[in-house]
Amino acid sequence: MSRAARIALPLAAGLALGLWLLAAWRILPPAGWPALPLRPEAMSLDQILLGFGLMPRGAVALAAGAVLGLSGALLQAVLRNPIADPTTLGISAGAQLALVAATILMPGLMDHGRWPVAMAGAGLAAALVMAIGARRAFAPVSMVIAGMLVGMTASAIATAMVLARGEYLLSLVIWNGGSLVQQDWSGLRALALVLALGAIAAAGLARPLRVLSLGGEGARGLGMNVALVRLAALALAVAMAGAVSAELGLIGFVGLAAPALARSLGARNMMQVLALAPPIGALILSICDGVVLALAGATGEMFPTGALTGLIGGPLLIWLLPRLRGSTPPGTEAAEGPAPRLARPAPVLVALALAAAILALVLVWIGRLPQGWAVLDWPSFRAFLPLRLPRLVAAGAAGALLAMAGAILQRLTANPLASPEVLGVSGGASMGYAATLFLVAAPGQAALTAGTMLGGALALALVAAFARRRDMPAERVLLAGIAVSAMAAATLSAIMATESPQSWQVLAWLSGSSGTVGPVQAGVLAVLALLVAGLGWLMRRWLAALPLGAEVAAGLGLPLTPARLALIGLAGLATGAATVLVGPLSFTGLMAPHLARRLGLARARDHLAGAALIGALLMIAADFGARMAGFPYELPLGLFASLLGAPWLLWLMTRMRR
Amino acid sequence: MTTPLFAIDGLCVEVPGRRLLDGLTLSLPRGQVVALIGHNGSGKSTLLKVLARQVAPSGGDVAFDGRALADWPARDYARALAFLPQSTPPAEGMLVRELVALGRYPWHGALGRFGARDHAAVAAAMAECGVAELAGRLVDTLSGGERQRVWLAMMVAQQAGTLLLDEPISALDIAHQVEVLSLVRRMCHAQNRSAVIVLHEVNMAARFCDHVVALKGGRLAMQGGTGDLMRPEALAAIYGLPMQVLRREDGGPVAVPA
Repeated sequence: MSRAARIALPLAAGLALGLWLLAAWRILPPAGWPALPLRPEAMSLDQILLGFGLMPRGAVALAAGAVLGLSGALLQAVLRNPIADPTTLGISAGAQLALVAATILMPGLMDHGRWPVAMAGAGLAAALVMAIGARRAFAPVSMVIAGMLVGMTASAIATAMVLARGEYLLSLVIWNGGSLVQQDWSGLRALALVLALGAIAAAGLARPLRVLSLGGEGARGLGMNVALVRLAALALAVAMAGAVSAELGLIGFVGLAAPALARSLGARNMMQVLALAPPIGALILSICDGVVLALAGATGEMFPTGALTGLIGGPLLIWLLPRLRGSTPPGTEAAEGPAPRLARPAPVLVALALAAAILALVLVWIGRLPQGWAVLDWPSFRAFLPLRLPRLVAAGAAGALLAMAGAILQRLTANPLASPEVLGVSGGASMGYAATLFLVAAPGQAALTAGTMLGGALALALVAAFARRRDMPAERVLLAGIAVSAMAAATLSAIMATESPQSWQVLAWLSGSSGTVGPVQAGVLAVLALLVAGLGWLMRRWLAALPLGAEVAAGLGLPLTPARLALIGLAGLATGAATVLVGPLSFTGLMAPHLARRLGLARARDHLAGAALIGALLMIAADFGARMAGFPYELPLGLFASLLGAPWLLWLMTRMRR
Repeated sequence: MTTPLFAIDGLCVEVPGRRLLDGLTLSLPRGQVVALIGHNGSGKSTLLKVLARQVAPSGGDVAFDGRALADWPARDYARALAFLPQSTPPAEGMLVRELVALGRYPWHGALGRFGARDHAAVAAAMAECGVAELAGRLVDTLSGGERQRVWLAMMVAQQAGTLLLDEPISALDIAHQVEVLSLVRRMCHAQNRSAVIVLHEVNMAARFCDHVVALKGGRLAMQGGTGDLMRPEALAAIYGLPMQVLRREDGGPVAVPA
């Protein structure tokens, strides 16, 4: 063990212990602590709170952290991927979705306990991510992008299931996942057992894994059954992550942080990482939980520790990315072969515009009643038109704005996978929304919109600054954006868990729909969409030259920095404005420009116009779906769109050539 | 004596932990095809990127046409000088005509009208580089040699008097190497343009260029005419390898490792 580790680990342990003692002291001074063995019938209420609440909680934090640290270290070893962990590979979110689905759809399944359900969910998510990764030679960044997308999709589906049944309060249960509050010692017993068995199994796997670190061919040459070792290690890691999910809920990024810290403390080879990661993970989770306890006071708060670890995860991932150098094979230059190009794009654009208008009209005309579907007659059509038109206009405008932002970003970064959602702009925008709620007393719609736009532009500037680093491949930029999104999601969860008045407003916004849109807001969005389209048309030559890269663009005398700033600002503005309505995730900004390009709209201005029209079409259709799918409850508009978009993105990744 | 094309004085370029160019002082002549040669990591590409203003020097002065590089506005510089990066980027969904027309950006800017002069310049550039019949093709569907000629046409459309080319032939077969370099040489001598070309292949440099600048370890190893280059002692000093110079039937020199 290095000197750094010898100093840092005892210090961290002392800090964890101190934080726990602080919380314990608040309940009861040490003189009154219960004697062992604990006998509840002879204890006071405070003693019970301590002996069956805080004491097991402290121990569970250590055990769960160790299990997650070991799981992450195993995943990183077997995938040879320093940014793998149960969160970044979507495993925890898969377990979470399985739990929610079973609770709502088949409560009977839960009779046998939460564990089998969570394991099944974790296993399915892991299998899906591995299947995608296998097509791309398990390239670390691709794996994590796929994993985080699977995770986001799983969370979106879980949220949609809850909201579609009108169980808005249950949604808080989801967001509260990751709380370490304990009522007895059973959780600790279960996790300690998992830790012990996991440690034994990991010790057995350590030597084969070290051989495997030579690479599959080398290991096979030494006579090893590579597939079996990989499968065993993955199954072990997934089972451990699923156990923590079943017991405590979503606790993100501990499995990422622990091996990373072990390495930076001087663990050079895989054995040392495997040995050091569990104690470090235990201390990380323990300190996080201690901080939560200290912040919340002794009053039995509900702030989930998982939200805090999520907050740490985003920045950690961004910090780790530049250190990945050399371990990633080059990724996705070409998408699914050259896209076609239309000789005459005008008819397609006109057809798209007509389709959007007709779809909007038809969707005003039909609706769902408790008894079934109905087509409105003329008088009711005229009565409903003023009610439904604003939301359709708003949805269409928001879709167009997101799509144009996506088209601009894809051209700016020459990356067909760029979009406001993926680059974290939407996440930043939602953080701007939340910040406005907390910083401005009783903010109006204008203040919220401005705050959201500012947040979007700031997040984009952050990612763009990151992207300017030398040798930074497009995929890592994407991952940085996804990390920003994850951080935003964690922030929103944390806000949600405070149950302050603002949290209800955030919840209303997240689960909100276009139903409350008035004519004024719809008009503003429409004007903004036209404004962005106009500005985009003015910048069409920059958009044509920038995909050729900075060298060529600068060689042509393009003012690179002002042009980039202007386009980033424009994309941030468009995203922010749309995010106020749609919420943080929709993937419209990814899908629409991509579809436009596949249709053969190649020139910058056709691409932009086509993307805007397709985005409007998609969002109008999503609005209809969100209104109808969970009738009589409305699903969040952005949520419904992301249920379409995230699988699309995953499918796209499986089709990309290596 | 006229002002040199580039006057370089004490140029240094550093990246963390390494000095790529180390106090380089030289001037490059006008109206000639100048080859920049040297071993891998000698700093030849870095020097070209400094001249193209793609890399900022950490020390020293560089003047183009008697005026310090930093004093040139971006579009004026692009009107005077065109740069072709080593690996030309994929031009996704772009037609040959459109790519060549991008060369007019320094002249019409972001909002200016694409007028008759621009159309004429694009047509002339495509004709000069022999890609007029490819005008309606997608750039990404062309062969390597054709694509390189299209990029050259874009530089010609820029109507710049100076061309900077970073290893323009490294991805081409021998026939296309000769074709592209002949085109560059013809373009320079017929239209009185200057060119600075980074080349790997010393025989190509000797055959197509008028003047040679050789770098070694970030410093100047030699400069002069191709006759000065094609001597065993000079080549051995540049590449750190004994070289032999043979004579072709027409008397031209050919260097091979001894």
